[in-house]
Amino acid sequence: MGFFNSINISASGLSAERTRMDIISKNIANANTTKTSGDTPYRRQMVIFKEKDSTPFSSHFAKASKTLSNSQGVEISSIVEDTKPFKKVYDPGNPDADKEGYVSMPNVDVMNEMVDMISATRAYEANITAINSSKTMAMKALEIGR
Amino acid sequence: MINSYATVDFLKKALNGSMERHEAISNNIANVNTPGYKKITVEFENMLNAELDEKYVQLNRTEKNHIDNQNELGDNYISITRDEGYSTRRDENNVNIDLENAKLAKNTIIYNALIKQLSNEFNRMKIVISEGGK
Repeated sequence: MGFFNSINISASGLSAERTRMDIISKNIANANTTKTSGDTPYRRQMVIFKEKDSTPFSSHFAKASKTLSNSQGVEISSIVEDTKPFKKVYDPGNPDADKEGYVSMPNVDVMNEMVDMISATRAYEANITAINSSKTMAMKALEIGR
Repeated sequence: MINSYATVDFLKKALNGSMERHEAISNNIANVNTPGYKKITVEFENMLNAELDEKYVQLNRTEKNHIDNQNELGDNYISITRDEGYSTRRDENNVNIDLENAKLAKNTIIYNALIKQLSNEFNRMKIVISEGGK
């Protein structure tokens, strides 16, 4: 409750966006990886966000006491692999080439990843702004009666 | 009896509402990339205003056993709603990040103004206490 709750909410946003950024970096770093441990090219990964629900008890309690219910920020529900097909590139000299001379390249679109990265950065900054506001408000509240 | 803390109580309620709104805005910003999330809005000024108007309806008390109309403001003046409206985005999220940032800035200023008012109210009380004895 109170200021620390709103700081926790913003912190959950920060951590979610940072994880998204990690996965984007991983995708960009592996944009040309043709061999993974599963013997397939690298598959692009995606982060799925989900609104963080409080426990059933606290959500009922919140409803009864008319406070903000079911909202504890954001969490990552899962990290999934993109099922888009791999790109085929003609390169017969490559050791990973198939019989026809085509190499399967990862289904990572670097341009797409860059756009996602900017979106994650902006969302991260917005959460930082919210935390700073919480901080100034809390510090201001300490000045009551001075 | 006149409640000398009536203004303080009123400002306290406004501060609570403002803080609740801050929490809702933080939550909206944290969920800006969550598919299917619908924004939360907090409304309290109108209800606070209405209760304030009601409070100042004066009744004559001809006997001391009559019910005093200095009724306290209730606790259910903050309404928190989830805006299930349209979304312009394909992930069905209806948070507008620019709007939320503007609301955050506005809410912070309002909160600081309320704190200032509260401090001034206490200062006025201090003046009454200290200057009255001179």
